Parts: sequence; structure tokens; C-alpha cells
Amino acid sequence: MSAEAIIIGAQIVAGHDGSAELLVNLRHPNGAESPVVLDEATGLKLMKTCGAAHVDELTGQSWRRIVEGL
Amino acid sequence: MYDVIVRGGLVVDGSGAPGYLGDVAVQDGKIVAVGQITGDALRFVEAEGRIVAPGFIDPHTHFDVQLLWDGAAKPALEHGITCVVPGNCSLSLAPLRAADRQQVIGMFQQIEEMPPAAFTEAFEWTWEDFAGYRAAIEKSLSINVAPLVGHSVIRLWVMGPHAQERAADAGEISAMQDMLRECLDAGAVGLSTSFVDVDENGRPVPSRFAQFEELDALSAVLGEYGRMLQIVPEFYAIDITIARIDQLAELSLKHNIPTTFSPVFDSTATPDNVARTVARVEEQFSRGARVWPQMQTRPIDISFSLLRPSLFFARLPRWVRILRQPLEQRIAALRDPETVAKMVADTGPDGGERMMGRLVVRGGDGAPVELTGRTLSDIAKDRGEVTALALINLSLEHGLDVALLSANAGHEVTDRIGPMLAHPLVHIGASDGGAHLASFSTYGDTGYLFSEFVRKSGALSLEQAVAKLTAETADIWGLKDRGRLEAGKAADIVIFDAATIGRGEERPAFDMPGNGMRYVRAATGIDTVLVNGQVAYAGGQYSEARAGVVCV
Ligand SMILES: [Zn+2]
Repeated sequence: MSAEAIIIGAQIVAGHDGSAELLVNLRHPNGAESPVVLDEATGLKLMKTCGAAHVDELTGQSWRRIVEGL
Repeated sequence: MYDVIVRGGLVVDGSGAPGYLGDVAVQDGKIVAVGQITGDALRFVEAEGRIVAPGFIDPHTHFDVQLLWDGAAKPALEHGITCVVPGNCSLSLAPLRAADRQQVIGMFQQIEEMPPAAFTEAFEWTWEDFAGYRAAIEKSLSINVAPLVGHSVIRLWVMGPHAQERAADAGEISAMQDMLRECLDAGAVGLSTSFVDVDENGRPVPSRFAQFEELDALSAVLGEYGRMLQIVPEFYAIDITIARIDQLAELSLKHNIPTTFSPVFDSTATPDNVARTVARVEEQFSRGARVWPQMQTRPIDISFSLLRPSLFFARLPRWVRILRQPLEQRIAALRDPETVAKMVADTGPDGGERMMGRLVVRGGDGAPVELTGRTLSDIAKDRGEVTALALINLSLEHGLDVALLSANAGHEVTDRIGPMLAHPLVHIGASDGGAHLASFSTYGDTGYLFSEFVRKSGALSLEQAVAKLTAETADIWGLKDRGRLEAGKAADIVIFDAATIGRGEERPAFDMPGNGMRYVRAATGIDTVLVNGQVAYAGGQYSEARAGVVCV
């Protein structure tokens, strides 16, 4: 078990404001899993920060990468 | 002699009771009789073979600006909507000091995407206080307006630049309470706040700097009037949304006020979210709290162009890398045959047909008008290209400014959404009418309720659907005179064809000030709309009637 939340998956979803959004699933240190939806700009930044060219490459990254993109 | 008799229709009165054949008589703007009516009238409206229902109420709009030059909130009225609630999501146009206008315009532009001309040419700023704004719109209303006042602007009025910097002190909170009282006295039907929205610079809107004490104090004032608190919760994270539901429930119980929140939408990626939301709402209602989740009827469409990077391509690494480049390099890459061949190959052996064929060209941008509404698959065939290549070349020919629509990308599974909309505690709304002008059409959700969930799936009966949009909404919001076809109520009436009521295709229109573009949808199946006893829309035409009022 990791000491901090990690991304365990991500997928593209439709955002309420008509843009594509990124649904990121996190696993917390206590084992709980929860989804969080990032808007298009934040989602794209997260991919860039992680050097990911495909959403699947986000898996295993720290949740901190999301904050870096904010 | 009555003013109007609506004759021979199926009366669906808003209560949810079965429709019955009958007439509706109108006098001095009010309904005076419903049933078999004899007697004469200045005007007869024939409704044989049609449904006669109370006018629809749209509880979540941003028509604040448009109402200043368009008292019908077009095209809302032609969809059968006779009352709109503007001022949602913490933003209204009053109270607002002249010196703060620019700041609030920035916030409105962020959500409404209205062209600057809308704020400089289309109307005169004659007001600062809420009563002044009311007077400014009241002059030429053909639709009724039940306005909310925005928490962000009240905060800005009291705290100036500090509104977007810090928590309020006791004196400031008390000044905000006084200002809210003044607005409620001047006709506001409640307060809106947001935990999510940002201004044009990406900064949180003022309401987001409020601590709980402030919201509690403002809710206490709402309690004096029994008025609504509307919020936008952190909908992107379900656990936080549930915490907000609990918080709203405490405010509702403590101050005896109704509360509502949106958006609430279904996604197959998070299939439990709505169920969890509604389960919590049920628990809070059983404690006596009123926390209404507001749900839209329409599916979510997403759109994108090659002009800006989009997550639409997030499963195509090469596309992501190329579209991430600065514009000049991006265009150069898209002109390089070798690169393009690889990009097309990435989309699969069918040249991207399965992935992109159903995308629709939206229009209103660089795309030629004749392509608007056509699928990429279709266009590719005409061009003799595979689909992905057609997307690239078509975009290149128009400076990449070709918007494509991926329709029904979320909140789209009718068999899931229908029962959610039918749930007795789910409030139908969240149209966002008047906002997102350049992103998608926010009109026609009421027609879509009937075409998709009454006629097609049968999730709601006709009577239930009408009740949701009328009496139930009026009850939730405390709009005492609206929502029912019953003697004594305001004569807001819509006459429609149950077999054809629906929404038209989305299309660009250039009817905003300064020829600004927005996406709209026309109505189908709506014959006649009366507002306060006067025919405001009939036979596809808006009338000169200006019978709309600010209603409470
Ligand atoms: Zn809104």
C-alpha cells in the first residue's frame, strides 16, 4: 500500500459544460477509492505533467500531479 | 364576457391528475374558470386535439443580461416557458455599483460567453440596486421573471475588492444581511451561491470566499421570507457533493427554507453518483429538510476543434502530441503527408470511421454553412477521403476553426435517466438558459422531456411531466400564483400537441448584440403560449404583448 493517494485509472467523460473532461480514479492509502472529475484544461495539464500521451499512462501516478496542474 | 376562452382542449392542470376535456376562461390576466364554460369572450383560442397546460417554469437560467433587450428570453417562450428564474450560480446584475460593473461583466462572460457588445451597446445601465434592475427589465417583459439575487454580487457590494480575497467580518456579514433583505423586498425570490465557479481570470467568484457563518447568516434572512437558497456544489467529486447536501439540509431545517442544487447528471463512468445523491436527499427529506436536486433532461453533447487541444483525442497519443504543439507547428504537422498518414493509421483500419464518423459539423465558426449539421462520415464520402483525413483536411481548409459535435456523450441513457427524472424528489431544471451561448444550446429541454421520456420511453405520464414543469416547480419555489390551471391563478397557459412537442436540431443563430453567435433550438408542437392572459406566442410568431411581470 502506498503512503499517498495514487491514480489507478482515468477515462474521458462528457463534462456538463460541453467539453470533454477527465475522470480520474484515485486509491487512497486506506484502500478507499474515489473518482474526481477534472475539467478539460486541468486534465490536459495533468497529462502533460505526467508526460502521458494516452490516458492509460496516468495509472500509477501520484495524486500530487493533479495539484501541479492546477 | 371573458377576455379569453381556451376551448375544447385536454386540460392537464399541473396537479398530476388525469387530463380531461374542457375549457379555460381568462379575465384580467387570471384564470377565472376551468371546465365546461359557456359564455362569450373577446378572443377564443381553439385547442381541440391539443393539450392545455400551465406554462412551464424554468428554474435555472442566466437570462439576466438578455432580458434587458429581449423581454421574451427567446427562444424560451416559444418552448412553452412562461416563467424563468435568472440570477443563478451566485451571479445577478444587481445590486451592483457602477464601479464594479466591469468585474461582474467578466464573471458573466465566463459563464454566458456573451459578446462584449451585449454589455456596451444593447442596453443602458440605469441601476445599481435590485429595485432598479427590476424596473429596467419590467418595462418590456413578455415572459415572467422570478429573479434570484447572487451571493457574489452582494459580497462585492459590501466588501469591494476584498470580496475576492477573504472571509467577511461580523460587520460585513450584517451588511450583507441587510442588502439581501433589501433585494428580497424588491422582488428577489431567493439567493444563489456557488462553490465552483471562477471569473474570467480563473479566480474563484466572491461567494467562494464565504465561511459557513456567512452562508448561515444569509440563510437566516432567507428564513424570514421563506425563500430559496440555490447552490452549485462541488459536483465533480461525489463525496463533497454529499457533504454539501448535508450542509444544505442543516440550513433548510434551521431556517425553514427550501434549497436546491445542480448540476446532477448521470454518467456511465460513475454509474452510482445519482443513486448516492438521491439516497442522501431521501434521508434528508425524511428528517424534514428540503434539498432539491435539480436535474437536466437533455443529454450532454461535447464539442471540440483542432484549434485547441482537446481531451477528445486522449486515446490517440500521436494526435495528442501533434495537437499540443503551438499553432504554427501544429498546422505544419497537419500538412505533412507522412505525419498525416500515421495519424490516420492510428485511428484504425477503417480510417477513423467508427471513432469519428458520427461527429457532426456544428457551424457558427469557420466551417462553411452548407456543412452545418452533416456528419463527418457523410462529408468524408463526398470528399472521397477516409474519415480521419477528412477531419484533418476540412479543418486545415478553415484555419482549424471547425467545431465538431459528439452528440449524446453523457447523461444520455434514456432508460437510466427516465426513472431519475420521474423520482418525486428530483426537481427538473438546470437548463442554464441564456448561458454557454457559444458552446451549446440550452433551449428545448422541456420539449425533450415530452419527446424522449413521455412519448418514447414512457418513464413519465404526460400529466406527471406537466406537473414536474409547473405545479411542482411553483411549489418548490413558493411561486403562489403560478403552475396550475385553477381559478385565481395567473393565466400562464401553453397549448401544445402531445404527439409532436419536442426540440428542433441545434443550429447557430447570429441574434446577439453585435451579431454575436449562439446556439439555439426551435420548438416543435407548441401552438400558443399565454402569459398573464395575453397571447405572447402563436402560430410560430411572437406577439406584441408585454404582459410579463416580475413574479414572487
Ligand atoms: Zn448556472
